[in-house]
Amino acid sequence: MPPKHPRGMNLRDMQRSFSAHLQGADPLPAGATPEGMAVYTHAYRSQLKQCLRETFEKTRLWIGDAAFDEAADVYIRLHPPHAWTLDAYGDGFTAHLDHAWPRDPDVGELAWLDWTLRRAFAGPDQAPVAMAALVNIDWDQAVLTFAPTLRWRHVQSNVAAIWRAMDEDRIPSTSPTETTPPALRVWRHGLSTRFASMPVEEATCLDLATMGASFGEICIDLARRTGEEAATTVAGAMLGDWLRNGMVVAVA
Amino acid sequence: MQRDAITPFQGFGIGLRPPHYDAFLAAPQPVDFVEVISENFMVDGGRPLDVLARVRGQYPVALHGVSLNIGAVDGIDVGYVRRLRQLVDRVDPLWVSDHLCWTGVDGFNSHDLLPLPYSEEALAVVCTNIDRVQDILGRALLLENPSTYIAFPGMAMTEAAFLSAMCQATGCHLLLDVNNIYVSAINHGFDTAQWFVDLPWERVRQVHLAGHSQGEHMLIDTHDAPVPAAVWDLYARACEYMGDVATMIERDDHIPPLPELLAEVAAARTIAGGTACHRSTRAA
Repeated sequence: MPPKHPRGMNLRDMQRSFSAHLQGADPLPAGATPEGMAVYTHAYRSQLKQCLRETFEKTRLWIGDAAFDEAADVYIRLHPPHAWTLDAYGDGFTAHLDHAWPRDPDVGELAWLDWTLRRAFAGPDQAPVAMAALVNIDWDQAVLTFAPTLRWRHVQSNVAAIWRAMDEDRIPSTSPTETTPPALRVWRHGLSTRFASMPVEEATCLDLATMGASFGEICIDLARRTGEEAATTVAGAMLGDWLRNGMVVAVA
Repeated sequence: MQRDAITPFQGFGIGLRPPHYDAFLAAPQPVDFVEVISENFMVDGGRPLDVLARVRGQYPVALHGVSLNIGAVDGIDVGYVRRLRQLVDRVDPLWVSDHLCWTGVDGFNSHDLLPLPYSEEALAVVCTNIDRVQDILGRALLLENPSTYIAFPGMAMTEAAFLSAMCQATGCHLLLDVNNIYVSAINHGFDTAQWFVDLPWERVRQVHLAGHSQGEHMLIDTHDAPVPAAVWDLYARACEYMGDVATMIERDDHIPPLPELLAEVAAARTIAGGTACHRSTRAA
């Protein structure tokens, strides 16, 4: 039988009671003073909120401190952390904002961009393929491998322009233009995190490429959607862009 | 299990934080070592590991963690410790430290350093966990005395007696946070003189010096202010007990320009040097 603490509480009971109180349960752990527990409760909540503020910096700027903190408070109440690293804590915050702001896709999309840039910042290293190494490649058969930090998604808002404007202390435009590209990609080139808007055709090409399609197969699919002539031009420009920007780490 | 002994090291340094990365990479700084937060570098790649490699090329590095959860009744998170081992193998640190605390239970992780009761049961849990961690890391750990805001009544041991029993049972060492002694002593009204008498000074391998702030009801270990006079005084007294031990200035919030931290490093050198002279005079 494990030794008991004062008031009959063993260590596991104490840790469970303490954890429950941090997460909002009323009873104080046995032996704890309200003043002492208040210090721990404040530290727990403020650290999680600060983590969200730092991770989703542009999102907070966009919706304002009050709205952001309100969303963060609800998220913290609903999502007690479980990972050993605080870096993982914001994993569900984009979905939380999507749910909280259903008519404002820019909010969730900004949060996705903040989150994905943060993940890319310390993501796995893999050197981009050197342009000089690309000789005697049979591009029809070539299969491309992309940087492990590369992520992309379709967007409804001009999120890339909003993010850049805030980063440059400019006032962002709130409405998307007709030319706003409907997809966005994030990756890291060397030590530098990057993002770029892209047309929907390019997002489809990335979908195919990461499913193992050869560049020739990607071009055939592109031609089906855009016509032969346009496909040749678009595919060449797209491949050059991927290679120049360090998105491709292997061509086999 | 074979464990590497900790190589003796004395010197003075700072806890290296992002605002000072560029200064450390641009020019040599007057420190003998730096300490970094382990979890900030337990990542897959990118700038954090690049910075750490370049800093490590110029300075000895100590790893200081916050997520070991050494007081967990559930036992250690083996995945976390294996990942820490990967960082240890990459950095070859002076030593690896964390806190005498617990951080969560049943999968919950508070990301805070929560207080342990100083009971026989807690001692058994902590010692079992330390043994497992030291086996995986292949080296002895340093554990830091915490600042606490709750003192569980009727405990079997004082904090210093708990630390002593822990070191004796596991062979681990101590990271003595002088500010934490002060904060806990004020908050709980204990006598630092007795704390000093009970501590196994021969196990102390590193010292933290930091500042704190006054909360509504008690002192809070905020690491957001210069080392206050009372903590410098306590450090001078600690130097009398422990001799030459690696010492660093720890600041985690309101991080000042580097020269301000380096001035505190110089002050620590002066105090420790003066105490060493005093000790040698007494010995003669």
